[in-house]
Amino acid sequence: MNPPPDPLDSLLDRWSDPPEPPPHLSHEVWHRIALTEGAENESAGWWQMVEAWFARPSFAVMFFASCALLGLFVAELRVSRLQRERSEQLARSYLQLIDPLITAQNEDHRP
Amino acid sequence: MNRSFLCLTLGLVIALGSHFAYFRINEPAPTNTLDGQLAWMRSELQLTDAQFARIKELHQASSPRLRAMAAQVASLQAEFGAFERMRQSSDQVDFLEFARFVETRRHLNRECHDSTRQLVLASAEVMNPQQRQRYIQLVASAESLMPSSLN
Repeated sequence: MNPPPDPLDSLLDRWSDPPEPPPHLSHEVWHRIALTEGAENESAGWWQMVEAWFARPSFAVMFFASCALLGLFVAELRVSRLQRERSEQLARSYLQLIDPLITAQNEDHRP
Repeated sequence: MNRSFLCLTLGLVIALGSHFAYFRINEPAPTNTLDGQLAWMRSELQLTDAQFARIKELHQASSPRLRAMAAQVASLQAEFGAFERMRQSSDQVDFLEFARFVETRRHLNRECHDSTRQLVLASAEVMNPQQRQRYIQLVASAESLMPSSLN
């Protein structure tokens, strides 16, 4: 006795062999895995790089010297600006000193 | 990890230390006295000892007179203020008084200008041409930097 025909059989008959994978599938998969792991370890890798730099005494000494120079440079900028302002202020004070009209005017405006 | 962190912290400390030490050593000192201003002039105009001594002498000699004139100007301004308040309250103008005030003010202004001019010229006389040019520039620039113009 034959079983009744199943409609699924005809569909299964139409299913041919699975398609061939792309030629570089394996390489692509490993590449993507490497990228994902690389992104996760990026921060740790950056810090390791910094540690590797500081492990070299010559780099550490250069870093300290650069810090000192940067500090001096910024201080020099501040001193120059302050000297310019002080110079303008002294020029104004000098004018007050030699001109009674300005002296009186400033005293008048003083609270 | 500890080593890198230590190095970064030490770098920061070195940068801040060098910055504040240099700034503290080179920070210009504030001064508002006659001596301080003359010292500033000396360095700004690169005056010699002889020039500085002569300019200091000129300024010290004229200082009491200039102060007295400044006091006179202030007193006249106060007097004018009182005159103006009285005019506003009584709505009457004493034209004779006002004319006297204007004349006194004009005379005093002229005297002040003359005194200042004499001091500037006498100081400039002591200087060489480059110093003189710089001095006039300084005085002119200071005048333009004043908050309000003279009346």
